[in-house]
Amino acid sequence: MSNQKPTWCNSADHSFYTSRRNFLQVGALGTLGLTLGDALKAQAYEATPSKEGKAKNVINIYLPGGMAHQESFDPKMYAPIEYRGPMGTIKTKLEGVYFSELMKETAKIADKITVVRSMTHGEAAHERGTHNMMTGVRPSPALEYPSFGSVVSHELGPRNNLPPYVAIPSMTANGGTGYLGSAFAPFSLGSDPASAGFKVRDLSLPSGIDDKRFATRRSMRATVDEHFSKLEKTDALDGMDTFYQRAYSLISSEKAREAFDIEKESTKLRDEYGRNTAGQRMLLARRLVESGVRFVSMTYGGWDHHDNIKRAMENQMPNFDQAFARLIRDLDERGMLDNTLVYVTSEFGRTPKINQTAGRDHWPKVFSIVMAGGGVKRGYVHGSSDAQGAEPENDPLTVSDYSATVYNLIGIDPERRLMSPGGRPQAIVLDGHVQKDLLA
Amino acid sequence: MRTLFTALTLALPLAALAAPSLVEVRVVPPDINLSSKQDSQSVIVQAVYSDSTTRDVTAQAQFSLADKTLARLEKSVVHPVADGKTELTVKFDSKTLTLPVKVEKSAVPLAISFSLDVMPVFTKAGCNTGSCHGSARGKDGFHLSLFGYDHEGDYGKVTRQMLGRRINLALPEESLLLTKSTGAVQHTGGKLLEPKDDLYQTIVRWLEAGAPADAKDTAYVTGVEIFPVQAVLEGSGASQQFTVRAKYSDGSDRDVTKIASFVSNNDVSAKVTKTGLVTADKRGEAFVMARFDAFTVGAQILAIPKESGFSFPQVAEHNYIDTLVHTKLKKIRITPSDVTDDATFLRRVTLDITGLTPSAEDVRAFLADKDAKKRDKKVDELLERPEFTELWVMKFAELLQIRTDNNQFLYKSVLQYYDWLKDQFARNVPMDQLTQELLTAKGGTFSNPAANFYKVETDVLKLSENVAQVFMGMRMQCAQCHNHPFDRWTMNDYYGFAAFFAQVGRKTGEDQRETVVFNRGNGGVRHPVGNRDIPPKFLGMDGGTPAEGQDRREVMAKWLASPQNPFFAKNLANLVWAHFFGKGIVEPVDDVRISNPPSNPELLDELGKRFTDSNYNFKKLVRDICASRTYQLTPKSNELNAEDTRNFAKGTIRRLRAEVLLDVINQVTVTKDKFRGLPVGSRAVEIVDGRTTSYFLTTFGRADRGTVCSCEVKMEPNLSQALHLLNGDTVNNKIQSGGLVAAMTKEGKSNEQIIEEFYWRSLARPPTQTEQTKLAEYFTEAKTPADKAVVLNDVFWAVLNSKEFIFNH
Repeated sequence: MSNQKPTWCNSADHSFYTSRRNFLQVGALGTLGLTLGDALKAQAYEATPSKEGKAKNVINIYLPGGMAHQESFDPKMYAPIEYRGPMGTIKTKLEGVYFSELMKETAKIADKITVVRSMTHGEAAHERGTHNMMTGVRPSPALEYPSFGSVVSHELGPRNNLPPYVAIPSMTANGGTGYLGSAFAPFSLGSDPASAGFKVRDLSLPSGIDDKRFATRRSMRATVDEHFSKLEKTDALDGMDTFYQRAYSLISSEKAREAFDIEKESTKLRDEYGRNTAGQRMLLARRLVESGVRFVSMTYGGWDHHDNIKRAMENQMPNFDQAFARLIRDLDERGMLDNTLVYVTSEFGRTPKINQTAGRDHWPKVFSIVMAGGGVKRGYVHGSSDAQGAEPENDPLTVSDYSATVYNLIGIDPERRLMSPGGRPQAIVLDGHVQKDLLA
Repeated sequence: MRTLFTALTLALPLAALAAPSLVEVRVVPPDINLSSKQDSQSVIVQAVYSDSTTRDVTAQAQFSLADKTLARLEKSVVHPVADGKTELTVKFDSKTLTLPVKVEKSAVPLAISFSLDVMPVFTKAGCNTGSCHGSARGKDGFHLSLFGYDHEGDYGKVTRQMLGRRINLALPEESLLLTKSTGAVQHTGGKLLEPKDDLYQTIVRWLEAGAPADAKDTAYVTGVEIFPVQAVLEGSGASQQFTVRAKYSDGSDRDVTKIASFVSNNDVSAKVTKTGLVTADKRGEAFVMARFDAFTVGAQILAIPKESGFSFPQVAEHNYIDTLVHTKLKKIRITPSDVTDDATFLRRVTLDITGLTPSAEDVRAFLADKDAKKRDKKVDELLERPEFTELWVMKFAELLQIRTDNNQFLYKSVLQYYDWLKDQFARNVPMDQLTQELLTAKGGTFSNPAANFYKVETDVLKLSENVAQVFMGMRMQCAQCHNHPFDRWTMNDYYGFAAFFAQVGRKTGEDQRETVVFNRGNGGVRHPVGNRDIPPKFLGMDGGTPAEGQDRREVMAKWLASPQNPFFAKNLANLVWAHFFGKGIVEPVDDVRISNPPSNPELLDELGKRFTDSNYNFKKLVRDICASRTYQLTPKSNELNAEDTRNFAKGTIRRLRAEVLLDVINQVTVTKDKFRGLPVGSRAVEIVDGRTTSYFLTTFGRADRGTVCSCEVKMEPNLSQALHLLNGDTVNNKIQSGGLVAAMTKEGKSNEQIIEEFYWRSLARPPTQTEQTKLAEYFTEAKTPADKAVVLNDVFWAVLNSKEFIFNH
């Protein structure tokens, strides 16, 4: 019906008229005999049901703060010095493609990944930019949207006794369930895999409790619980039961628990990833998806480089570079790259010109993200920014299109709508189109 | 027919099967005012039967006018003839009613108006919705204000934009405005009007009149009413016509049924046509809304199947709450569950009022008490405990966002603010006084901690949104950018309310850490349409103009926390209700809007009224709630109420909130925690700073007080909670360090006695025989006292991991 780009303000879900058939429908469910079946029949969405897509596993590496595109994947080597910045460049495996000089390792695997140099949106504040990139929807005053991970959790559910969505080390801003129920929240590790003696909290039995004693406890709990379970059933009780069951399967499946045990990785590989937060988090992310976790979201560093960007980059980038390159190679060596989507995002890029304090400020108009594996092209640069790195020059990638592409790879129809409180069905993507150029 | 039915059913012994008798006939609207030549008013007759069902009997009723020279009837529509006053008599079955008819200006044709006649057409036809021309940038080059919030702007766009191509005064029917709407020329939005439609003709008449702009003194809509307000329709296919009447600033009214937009929130149960005819279908509840101009009004529809044999059981009514709850249940043909047993009641009410479980001794004493009034006495006793106020201080600390914020909000201020709040509650200061003191607070935040209210949020718009949400349960955010599509609020309302906060001044005190709040006496807010300064105005009613030099906030606070503001008492009553039932009558509690109606409006009104009448006495309200039979129901459902979650027909099962769960674990294991700024052994409920937390509290969804939203407190279970209770250090360590098993063993108690004690103190009941037998089996392999202690500790662990413990039920 429309060929205009919708925003929150003119999306169908925001309006009274077009969505009125669905408006609040399920809000009245729970009264009298209206069954869920009735309500669902009345909705009749056209979206295809979700099923595992090319990207069976997803790793989202989020770089909070807003990583400069100039000092990473989109150096402006021919721009005047105030735009070019203090860093040099390095030749990559792709003909004519250069990265920042600190990305020595990533340069060597450039033939395995796709770099998008034309990501663009209009939100220059951290929390709003983060919302864009974590949920794929621009922030709305009326509704909090679910993160990609929560949508995956909602649509595809757990695999191999493992929680479907895990956050390393803990949930980031906008990494949560938004309007979806909290059953779809990430399982937050609560501690950092890089720290010495890293252990996921409460995963293993407390000291003094062996498997046998735990089995006894479990059966005692069943005994105590039985009386009450017989009395009543409600959603809240079912929810608690679900998580107790998931906890039991996690605790009692050594294989599932081992997914969290980074010590099981060889010393050599751990060293190659790097004994730091970037390296160990990425390694654990790989370990988790390999074991069955569907979606891992992890953060690394702080990239809000308003001051002295050179020093900040020299501090943080080498670890990222080493870990990321090793992650891609590791996945490829294990034959997992083609079914694991790794995408590196940040809330925005940074200003074209170096500022007075030798840093760069927030710049959402154009910046770079990386996508690799899971059905994304190998060795490809999508779009470009202009000579100053100020505006997209070719093939701008909007948040909606980025979101549609990610969901499409995972196997979730971007047209899909999910129910928000009050029974308003919400599109997970606001009029986005899958960017076919990115697909392998 | 009716007599035949009665005769048949007389043979049956059950009184419930007797044919329902006519109880009441309602004729709406209650008065008829005609004020122009074209004016008319449709009348609706609704019959109410003894089984609470209603029928639209307009077609069967007889109408007659006392003076036929003043008005005439066309079926059930009254038209003017000559000026004067008369009466309309409506007769149905055995009932006769009369309503006043007033006719004025019957010879004066009504001049057509852009805002009063043409703009409603845009709304009714859907032209100005967000997906069409009402979108922020319009559609296909034509932009109208969303739902018509900007009359003047829309007039300009229709008549002036595109070089006036949209209208053709010489050949009105050739106007692009009309040819587009009928699909005569290509229109993305499709065909919306037919040339024979009244809507189409309205636009033609306006164009024929020369497309006049409205005169400066053109009346505006001041309110909209829908009639009837409720219908209980029995059987699929039963229908009820609705009528909508708009009131204008010049005192006139109009029947706008034909040009209002109707929508049902539940088509499965009740569908509504464009002309306001509602037809029932599947069993369920629906809310039908009518929108006209900036106003949305709603009516409740209960669709129930045609069935005989329902009889509402003889159940006691402890007080007005039960009467009102049962009235609703009768209408929807649901029966309430039974009253819960004494032990469960005691655990429930103790947890709800004090945030602790009853001790084993309390339970035993309560069970042994033979007094018929023991439940009421227990409620009174619990209300006098200091823990009762502490719980509510915590809840208000969440609403007031009491927490440290880097260098902005230091711990010193947080502590002062919290103590001030605690003191207010401890002294049982009536809620209206407390609210007024907060909202008008001035001076240094150190000397007057209430002034911190204006330090927590400094943005004028955000501040006014918070006040509306906290004290009236309303989310005004939508109306910042456009008239609220699902509520009554317009941008004028939004900025009018925000204007009360526009003159709050803040400066640094002598002590750098202190902020001094004062009245600047100047400043305002500007409306985005026209950038005009908006004077302060109360939400939803006239008034609010401050006297010269008066602090705007004083005017607002005096109104807000008073009986004049209907939202204040109802919001607080709902907040309290939600605490005891796990769900508000309006839910979520801070999302009161036309399109989110209360599940039992009469109940909410009554609670609000009584709360006001009691001078906002918190304890009185809690006492009424806890004494009601409705509060004391078992969660066990019966056949009829199994699916119901909104009508309080059974007890609700709620997970204990983070603080309470931790406190209760400490209580039953006899252990202590330490929180910042509080002595060892203080309860988590008493935490001063929103940022003070622990792994346990965060995992179980404690509010960090970052926003005023009721959604901050997370009650949903998650995987980390289960893992933590199973493996974490809280339960495991506390069982150990509490040393309960060792102590009781030392007292010479047997295994059975110790297990019984776990049950009494944690679950407020003794173990059943089956439980004792099954648990005894675990001791067969335990030879040594140490082995036995292990088993006992594990039983305790199992009890603390049981749903019966984690939930209040």
